[in-house]
Amino acid sequence: MPDFILTVNQLSKSFSGVKALDNVSLNLRKGEVHALMGENGAGKSTFMKVLIGLLAPDSGEIIFEGKNLHDSNVGETLKKGISMIHQEILIVPELTVAQNIFLGREKSVSGKSGWLWGWLDDSEINEKSEQVLKQLGVDISPKTKMKYLSVAQMQMVEIAKAISNNAKVIIMDEPTSAISDKEVEMLFKMIRDLKAKGVSIIYISHKMDEIFRISDTITVLRDGKYIGTKNATELDQNSLISMMVGREIGQMFPEGNTAINEEILSVENLGKKGKFSDINFAVHAGEIVGLSGLMGAGRTEIARVIFGLDKSDEGMISISGETVQINSPLKALKNGIGYVSEDRKGLGLIPKMSVKDNITLSSMNRHRKGIFINTKREETATAQMIADLRIKTSGMDQKVTHLSGGNQQKVVIGKVLLAAPQLIILDEPTRGVDVGAKFEIYKLIRNLAENGMAIILISSELPEILGMSDRIVVLSKGRQTALLSRQEATQELIMKYAVA
Amino acid sequence: MKNAIFGTLIATALLSGCNQTSEKGSGDGEKLVVGATMLSMQNEFIVNVSDEMEAKAKELDVDLITVDAERSALKQVEQVESFIAQGVDAIIMNPCEVEASSPAVKLAMAANIPIINVNSETSAKPTAFVGSDDTESARIAMKYLAEKLGGKGNILIMHGFMGQAAQLKRDNGAKEILKANPGLKLLAEQTGEWDRAKGMSLTENWIQSYGSKINAIFAHNDEMGMGAVKALEAAGLKNKVIVVSVDAIPDALQAVKKGTLDATIFQNAKEQGSKAIETAVKAAKKEAFDKEVLIPFQLVTKENVGEFLK
Amino acid sequence: MPPTQNLRLTKFGQYGIYLAFLILCIVLAFSTPRFFTVSNLLIIGTQVSINALLAFGVTFVIITGGIDLSLGSMVAVTGVVAATFAHPDTYPLAVPLLAGLGAGLLFGAFNGLVITKSKVPPFIVTLGTMTIGRGLALILSKGRPISNLSDSFNFIGGGNIFGIPFPIIILIVAFIVCAVILNKTVLGRYMYAVGGNEPAARASGIRVGNVKMWVYTICGILSAMGGILLTARITTGQPNAGAGFELDAIAAAIIGGTSTSGGTGTMTGTLIGALLIGVISNSLDLLNVTSYYQQVVMGVIIIGAVVLDGFGKKD
Repeated sequence: MPDFILTVNQLSKSFSGVKALDNVSLNLRKGEVHALMGENGAGKSTFMKVLIGLLAPDSGEIIFEGKNLHDSNVGETLKKGISMIHQEILIVPELTVAQNIFLGREKSVSGKSGWLWGWLDDSEINEKSEQVLKQLGVDISPKTKMKYLSVAQMQMVEIAKAISNNAKVIIMDEPTSAISDKEVEMLFKMIRDLKAKGVSIIYISHKMDEIFRISDTITVLRDGKYIGTKNATELDQNSLISMMVGREIGQMFPEGNTAINEEILSVENLGKKGKFSDINFAVHAGEIVGLSGLMGAGRTEIARVIFGLDKSDEGMISISGETVQINSPLKALKNGIGYVSEDRKGLGLIPKMSVKDNITLSSMNRHRKGIFINTKREETATAQMIADLRIKTSGMDQKVTHLSGGNQQKVVIGKVLLAAPQLIILDEPTRGVDVGAKFEIYKLIRNLAENGMAIILISSELPEILGMSDRIVVLSKGRQTALLSRQEATQELIMKYAVA
Repeated sequence: MKNAIFGTLIATALLSGCNQTSEKGSGDGEKLVVGATMLSMQNEFIVNVSDEMEAKAKELDVDLITVDAERSALKQVEQVESFIAQGVDAIIMNPCEVEASSPAVKLAMAANIPIINVNSETSAKPTAFVGSDDTESARIAMKYLAEKLGGKGNILIMHGFMGQAAQLKRDNGAKEILKANPGLKLLAEQTGEWDRAKGMSLTENWIQSYGSKINAIFAHNDEMGMGAVKALEAAGLKNKVIVVSVDAIPDALQAVKKGTLDATIFQNAKEQGSKAIETAVKAAKKEAFDKEVLIPFQLVTKENVGEFLK
Repeated sequence: MPPTQNLRLTKFGQYGIYLAFLILCIVLAFSTPRFFTVSNLLIIGTQVSINALLAFGVTFVIITGGIDLSLGSMVAVTGVVAATFAHPDTYPLAVPLLAGLGAGLLFGAFNGLVITKSKVPPFIVTLGTMTIGRGLALILSKGRPISNLSDSFNFIGGGNIFGIPFPIIILIVAFIVCAVILNKTVLGRYMYAVGGNEPAARASGIRVGNVKMWVYTICGILSAMGGILLTARITTGQPNAGAGFELDAIAAAIIGGTSTSGGTGTMTGTLIGALLIGVISNSLDLLNVTSYYQQVVMGVIIIGAVVLDGFGKKD
């Protein structure tokens, strides 16, 4: 095996008896993009932590450039040339770009580095940072404070930091989870450039289309076990999913037979200064309307206005034909509008509360007796919801933070459903949710529609929008550029209107 | 922005409304101006001294500017600095602390403005001192206890805020008498921080520890003494334990009259206040004055309490 | 993180404060025979009652993610107001009580109103009302203690019913009511939600402003109960009473496991926290520890209790 820069053999690691990694192997070629796939809990993050020296393996070996990396700590692996770009970008906002790139490797006048009382000299690191950034084709001044950058730019700086560290292997953990489509393109261009320079990338992502676009090789883990490694060209979406899930999922998007009924919601000339304007569409009982568009097109902003989190400047909203003023979430809920936010941690869950307390939070009015809580009724409703949505939890008193992303999402959906809305807005309902749970959420959405619920679905994943929606509203820079029916919509057509 | 303007308006209105201590009346140049900084206007005794100063100033036709140092020596020094800047004719200071308030005295002396310490002392020597010797108050109280107990018995002492001049001096006085009467045994001593509720809690805890062994309690001030009386009454021990405290505040006088508090030591707030103003005026007019005006303490018991009750 | 990993520690942590309290009591029982007597325990209960009432109030506030620094000033204002109407042969007992409680209610509601309407952080608002309250107490009393209160009023602070001091009875009743509010009412549930994640609570249709108004108002009423109790105990309405009480109350809540970041806390924990503080100061007096050392010992025990309590509470 000539060209392998990194070889991992039979790596195992267990935590208090539970095997998180069970004989996992991986071979990384020089200059390839190697995707690491697996559902949440498959062992990807443990694997990465062992690789960068954050955790010591129980058994197995890691060979980097022919040398055993055994017993290395994070600092040493970094020096040897393995860098990681974390999903939650680790930067110091008040420091400049250059200071972040050279964090921990500051240059002092005396030339000694790492000595706390050294007299700092930033001119050298500014110069070096500029070189690296130019090399990467990034147009950011090294003297800019980090806090003024966009998430995508911060990521670029992280990559620059890795390069300046002479990284030969860069691990990227969900690098596209918080950046726009355009920025994804920039990132991919950068990855291709790095490849050309012989840098190897280990790429972790949940997004299937990205994996097939960027990676050369795909390794799949499941339940801590190594499942297999294939060339990307040998696989398609369905075969990859079945490797990850361990069974055939069949069709990803359940078929619907929606009979469209009476109108539930309509918005006319809806607008909010600087965000969006002149939005017109209606949602009927049993109908799923998709809101599509690039990041920043105004999808979430429209949802926030309909749910009363923000105020509109013009236009009107009608519920069942009657004009209503919605100025608070409470008012929206009273009008039968529920909202499942894209920001699950920020707007959806109360992390310190239990599954039950979260689920019933929006519907306390039906679970009370005077000022007191009617615990029995509350428990019945929660048990029903846990069963209906198939929420995997050890009990209704389990804290929500202990649930997986998909189950947390179901808790938020359950909360909104218990408020008994006639219209539910789902904003990126499958973000950060693994494939198996995704499928369940799709089935759930379809079920709700069949039972007469009106649904607005917001998603940045085109297959999701195409697979689920009866009609699709396409937005571009705050304007409504198309209203497509299921039959006429295609990926190309939506993209065309989305950039119009 | 609107809020800010509104807030400022309210603040200004409030300030002008509360501006009781009017500024130095310019124009009538003949009138003497005396600046006074008091330890704390939340303390009843100090308020009494201050009231008497106010009355005496009116009588002598002197402008008196009274400020509250709120127990902060730093604040007090700053207040004296601004008195000096205003060019007052004399300063009366009721010091917060022995050492920390001393710079104020030095500043005034350096500016050639007479400064009179009232009620308690500083380590720096002022133009004159008007007050009483705290050591003496404790001596009187402890002597009374020793007499009542026939020179034999168990005593508890409740201190004021540790490290303050009054606490240190009253402690010295008490210890002197204790030494002179070997039959008196000090069971325990602890601070009640001049506070009635704290004094009460402390006494409750002492009762738990020593119970009927307690013969007498000496509290450094009446507030704590009243707290001790309350705790003893609740435990049904009041008639067995003698309580004496210092200051003769109205509450304590009432208690002496009722017989619940055995004795208090009268510190003459009125005398201190009026003598302070008199001395300040004399010093300002460069007339002859006494460098040290000591106003004697008086023991108040059931027999003579009537003289002190108004 | 995986729940199994530190389950044992978490469980231990949950009961850490109770354990600390228990250990302390056992140590004291052996070091001074006076500690474990009925009369001493009743005295501890009485001494703890005022701080506990305030601590209950501030527990509500801290659970919603707020803070109330005006507790001590509210004690002074409400005590002075109650004392004003409590002279013998003037008004029936209900008048000083209602006046004091009413003053606390108004003061608390004012805190709540300013906090919800102005969006100024509670720390700043209550720092302001702390000073305002102190000033009001001095104005209302003209800087002098208000004494000569009626016996029926003083009974509240010093009386017994079946041998149990009245303050302890108030303490127990208040504890039960507060625990019920927190655990059994919709308002209590909403308090946790608001403190746990305010935007999410609002998006769940909760009137966050209303919840906060109630919380600060309840805190004001409990402070008034503390103020009345203190006034009746020392049989004087003192304008300078209660200074620094807020710190003891906040300490009790935090020792009892209420998170300063909001969203967690229990009344039982707070009660234990208040008892812990009370037991420490009582026992240090019993052991005749010099006051200089008392402060050091108190600090060490408080930090120790919280460290013990902090195990496994990382998430």
